[in-house]
Amino acid sequence: MAAEALGGLALGVLLVAPPFLPPYFLEILISVMLFGYLGAAWNILGGYAGQFSFGHAAYFGIGAYTSTLLFLRLGVTPWLGMLAGGALAALFGLFAGYLSFRYGLRGPYFSLVTLAFAEMLRVVAVNTKAVGSSIGLVIPSREAAPVNFIFAGKLPYYYVILAMALGAVWITRLVARSKLGYSLLAIRENEDAAEAAGVDALGMKLRAMALSSFLTALGGSFYAQYFAYIDPTITFGPSVSIQGLLQAIVGGAGTVLGPLIGAFVLTPVSELSRAAIRGRAGVDVMLYGLALILVISFLPQGIMGWARKGRGHPARVPLIRRRR
Amino acid sequence: MSLLEIDSVTKRFGGLTAVSRFSLGVGAGEIVGLIGPNGAGKTTVFHLLSGFHAPTEGAIRFKGVSVIGAKPHEICRRGLARTFQIVQPFVNLTALENVMVGAFNRTDDVAAARKRALEVLEFVGLGARRDALARELTLPDRKRLEMARGLATQPELLLLDEVMSGLNPTEIEAIIGLIRRIHTQGVSLLIIEHVMRAIMALSQRIVVLHHGEKIAEGAPAEVARDAKVVEAYLGEES
Repeated sequence: MAAEALGGLALGVLLVAPPFLPPYFLEILISVMLFGYLGAAWNILGGYAGQFSFGHAAYFGIGAYTSTLLFLRLGVTPWLGMLAGGALAALFGLFAGYLSFRYGLRGPYFSLVTLAFAEMLRVVAVNTKAVGSSIGLVIPSREAAPVNFIFAGKLPYYYVILAMALGAVWITRLVARSKLGYSLLAIRENEDAAEAAGVDALGMKLRAMALSSFLTALGGSFYAQYFAYIDPTITFGPSVSIQGLLQAIVGGAGTVLGPLIGAFVLTPVSELSRAAIRGRAGVDVMLYGLALILVISFLPQGIMGWARKGRGHPARVPLIRRRR
Repeated sequence: MSLLEIDSVTKRFGGLTAVSRFSLGVGAGEIVGLIGPNGAGKTTVFHLLSGFHAPTEGAIRFKGVSVIGAKPHEICRRGLARTFQIVQPFVNLTALENVMVGAFNRTDDVAAARKRALEVLEFVGLGARRDALARELTLPDRKRLEMARGLATQPELLLLDEVMSGLNPTEIEAIIGLIRRIHTQGVSLLIIEHVMRAIMALSQRIVVLHHGEKIAEGAPAEVARDAKVVEAYLGEES
């Protein structure tokens, strides 16, 4: 009950406080929500199904480029464009997933293939004039047009990404309490045993893949609208992929709230170390890396795993499994 | 018609012939024991039946339909479930969650799967351990959990691969009782076992595999007297 009261309080603060925050803090909060959202999307495939994608930038980029191109070239509102991007990303996810899973790629091999798919899309984007090549795409109009997902201040963007993050958590909760969720956990634990117990491993992994890539693409569209600028390195680059999985791992992969909690811890650490160490380029990144190493060494099941242990709940995900 | 028909099945791994022209029928309601020295090919037979390996030659039919080319989960859906020789629990899930995964073989509804899983856990004697993580269970309990997960899929034929190995005599007695109760519920069984006392007591028929070939088949007492079987287990007299 205490946890529910705490959650309600946190939700209340997230809804009410932002209008009174200085712009800098609002920006951090938007980053927290965006990374938490991406972590939640990654978590469905990586945390629950145990399929460690290193290439979710592929779906993020597909989302960002699809909604932006539809808007710039055809005048389609990004609200619809983001759904189109999501659908396209889900299709691409099914394609990449089918190829990988069909040929039995597991563990690090799957991770490497996802990374390769993302890199492939990045190179294609860099070399395609029609999508702005390496210069990228700018969404020019900055006049507020809520119909076109363009707002005057940062506050409306915050509420959009807050709703998306809460929506992703809600979807994760639905998945976790369904046959799909149990099947994904079984696959993560032991795919052969899951198959022997009647779990359609390929079908279930593809479902997780489609859902995870769809949600990730919506995050890409949000990014494009919020920053009004995208290029191949930002959207298809490895850092997006890594950001998503870090939130989930640090917060607790395979838990409903883990990715959001991870984002609340990681994003401020990243921002604070950057703010604290000005003029020494790279030192902040080193500190951030150090923080990650410490978390992964001492809390291998993430913050949620650590928090639950005390109350006798199972900590679900061993972060780094030693594979035979 | 037999529930399960294995018709002259051969499995080669490169140059190694693990199973050679092996035939076996299991009728509805039967308990058949599959024995043989280590490396005889018993577990390979289970892998062939459950879809983890495809035979090099021969036919396997379950309820009259070929299982060759079917994936393990499809075979499970048709009513043929198995356990693993080295138990394969989902170690980070609770006993209840482990068994629920099996129960989802027959339902998409979480509440129904949970109900079924709780019944099966009671049935195998793990009711009190339902909320324990599988990693926290003792070996005898893990063996029961392995059987419970298979049972929860509601099989017509259950393949048990050495569910008694590593257990003490008291625990073996308990498992024999459990297998009898499973049989009473209308489940046919094909059992690999090294514990002779148990397999002799349980089986209506015993098949002996040696170097991938069937060397004997018959009632437990007959097989125990068979010269070739004695030789396979004890070695040739010199």
